[in-house]
Amino acid sequence: MAYKIQIDDEVREATAEEAAVIDAQRSAGEQLLAEQAAALEARKAPLRRIGLTDDEIAIVLGL
Amino acid sequence: MATPPDFVAGQVLTAAQMNAVGLWLVKTQTIGTTVSSVTVTDAFSADYQHYKIMLAGGVASTTNTLRITLGATTAGYYQGGYGTTFAAVAAAANVNNGAFWVLGTGSTNSLYTNFDLLNPNETNETMMQGFIPDSQTGGGSYSVGGFLNNATSYTDFTITASTGTLTGGIVYVYGYRK
Repeated sequence: MAYKIQIDDEVREATAEEAAVIDAQRSAGEQLLAEQAAALEARKAPLRRIGLTDDEIAIVLGL
Repeated sequence: MATPPDFVAGQVLTAAQMNAVGLWLVKTQTIGTTVSSVTVTDAFSADYQHYKIMLAGGVASTTNTLRITLGATTAGYYQGGYGTTFAAVAAAANVNNGAFWVLGTGSTNSLYTNFDLLNPNETNETMMQGFIPDSQTGGGSYSVGGFLNNATSYTDFTITASTGTLTGGIVYVYGYRK
């Protein structure tokens, strides 16, 4: 993907190397969010198994 | 000199008075048009040990977060953050040995970041503390703190959009006087 980056007052197209850094960062961010979502689901799962509703789970977990 | 100082128009200030100024503008950087990231070079030096960085104004092409990295470092960022949405739902903003700090928000209304860095130019861990409000009605606000797990001395930092692009706004870098 092509990115436009800025370094001080210079605005230009990112080099392939610079674009790869942005891609890796955005990928890491998406993974981070996915990991956080998975961790939250892991906390919710046992509560669901004992029959709590989503609202009750939110109260118990302080969401 | 009185604390706080009480200057009058036309007064000649002494070196002692000027050297007592606590916060000094080091650098400003206007963000260009539809950029994915903006790097501010020569922001940190031995002139100051601690810095405040602020950004307001401008817009994002879409709702995003603003990620901060120092130099070329892409790992070792730790952040603990907690807050609430405007609808009173608790939320977290944590990073655990990640590739960046999450220290700002972007929307089609505004860009925002406001955080302090302690020791960025020292060969020591850089500490961070900040506050992240959101300029969207469905957003929230968070208090964050953390560190970068290395002993690297930095002079530059980069603000990168998590998605989309950034346009406009001015980044201000202030040094806290030693």
